[in-house]
Amino acid sequence: MPSDLNNRQIEQLARCEPISEEQVKILCLKAREILVEEGNVQVIDSPVTICGDIHGQFFDLMELFRVGGSCPQTNYLFMGDFVDRGFYSVETLLLLLALKVRYPERITLIRGNHESRQITQVYGFYDECQRKYGSSNVWRWCCEVFDYLALGAIVDGRVFCVHGGLSPNLSSIDQIRAIDRKQEVPHDGPMCDLLWSDPDDIQGWGLSPRGAGFLFGADPAQKFAHHNSIDLIARAHQLAMEGYKLMFDRTIVTVWSAPNYCYRCGNVASILELDEHLAQEYKVFQAAPSDVRSIPTKRPPADYFL
Amino acid sequence: MSVPAIPQHKLFESPNCRTIEVNDWVITATTNPIASAADCDALQATLSMPLPEMTFSRNSLELEHRPSGWKYSFSTKDALKAVKAGELGEGDGGVKVNYADAWLKSRTDPSSQLPLPEVSLTKPYDWTYTTTYPGHTSPDSGSSASWNDADPEDNSHSIPISELMRPDPILFYAEIPLFEDELHDNGSSNLLVRIRVMPTCIFILCRFTLRVDNVLFRTYDTRLYHSFSSALPTLVRESSGWEAPYDRVKRLLPKRNDLTPLTDPMWIAKVLSELPLEVSQGIGAGTKWRGLGTHVDVIRLA
Repeated sequence: MPSDLNNRQIEQLARCEPISEEQVKILCLKAREILVEEGNVQVIDSPVTICGDIHGQFFDLMELFRVGGSCPQTNYLFMGDFVDRGFYSVETLLLLLALKVRYPERITLIRGNHESRQITQVYGFYDECQRKYGSSNVWRWCCEVFDYLALGAIVDGRVFCVHGGLSPNLSSIDQIRAIDRKQEVPHDGPMCDLLWSDPDDIQGWGLSPRGAGFLFGADPAQKFAHHNSIDLIARAHQLAMEGYKLMFDRTIVTVWSAPNYCYRCGNVASILELDEHLAQEYKVFQAAPSDVRSIPTKRPPADYFL
Repeated sequence: MSVPAIPQHKLFESPNCRTIEVNDWVITATTNPIASAADCDALQATLSMPLPEMTFSRNSLELEHRPSGWKYSFSTKDALKAVKAGELGEGDGGVKVNYADAWLKSRTDPSSQLPLPEVSLTKPYDWTYTTTYPGHTSPDSGSSASWNDADPEDNSHSIPISELMRPDPILFYAEIPLFEDELHDNGSSNLLVRIRVMPTCIFILCRFTLRVDNVLFRTYDTRLYHSFSSALPTLVRESSGWEAPYDRVKRLLPKRNDLTPLTDPMWIAKVLSELPLEVSQGIGAGTKWRGLGTHVDVIRLA
């Protein structure tokens, strides 16, 4: 794609204006070409700024860039869940893809459990595409891009980054590299676990009370870290009121980057800056000042409910 | 029809708290951000189960009837105390996500490429956070009045819908979310309390709504009504539980391709309450949940 077209797309999207359907198609094709070359576990050099869930909260993503510095000056890693729930999944995802196409070495996108056909049909992205483009084409092209996103990343060989967590069937990072990732997120198996599992204060591995999915305690996390010579596992996937949450003697951290989640939780968000020595600094930030066109009024209007 | 006289009342507001004093009542709605990590840890220890993702632990609605000293509250902690922590049994209405069987089979089949690791038993609890919490008498209530079954023959023992449908001015309105959880992207569970104080009455709706994708919908409503004109100060409390299989509700979507009503508690409650009662309050979704049905009781203060 000519870089001036790409620059114009970035400018337009940064104003929270969707680009044309035709341009989305071109952008998605180009993004796929880049992503297909990436490994399941993308290798990244420090310094890098690690971000958690965004969920279509476009103006808060702008706030994130204000706090963390703009791309490409800052090297970014986003750990998935770009879409759903917020009002601007289209603009959020397309801006991240446009940046990826423009600066492929300065921004890494890995897949979250919401980067899936099934989930986006229930949680908002599909409806938003229908509403903004009048057809499901844009949603379809974006879902094709999702299938090419990396499943994880590793910074300087020492910090492993993944959306959800570990899998009992994956003890080494090389095993993750062997997965055939180019598919819809399956309902079970190691790829599903990476995008869905959660750390918990339990011994070893646990079965989720929901009947599907794993929980993992400190010992599997520490074993994985030791076996792969990892200092830290960074993941997203779970809301943290303080923006981040360290667990298991600092072996694992949850980074959450959607402030005032769903426009009503009142939580702060954070990003994790790793410097060239992998020292960790958590930068906490608040929701963007409310924008008249973006956010429902704080107090709900009086309603004659029955 | 003439507009009823507006009773004298006073409003007090701060960013997280609003109070109305009207007739013999003091009503306070408190809304805050979700629980901090420290609050979560403390509450989790009390309840011995993982908390909903969005636990508004410092939200509440409190009512005080000054002449009798009677106090009644809706609080997150008490609502969650009514959620089953521990092994679910008959009547608890427990469910699994719809792909649970397939998931487990893929892991336990002898030919499975992905054998289950040795798993510890995670403490069971109702991950749907189903609650039939109707509010509770505050510990510092100064009245010993108690709830009694309503008399179906007595008109003052039912909630007068026609009065509530009148577009009288709303003197005080609040929405107080107590908790919300997206069930790890398998649906949604939430509990919301709403109140409106009208010139002639107080009306509260505490609504629990559950959607488990491709499994079921469930609603549990508690309505509290007090007429300022009741001769003896009386409150009517009506609790109703409904349930139906997911597909049964989905078939009633106004537009087949627009799934958004499935995330709207108002639409869900409307559909469930309009289904034949032998479905929505009888067999439900086949979970044998004890919350199905309707019960009305009353309390007389003083």
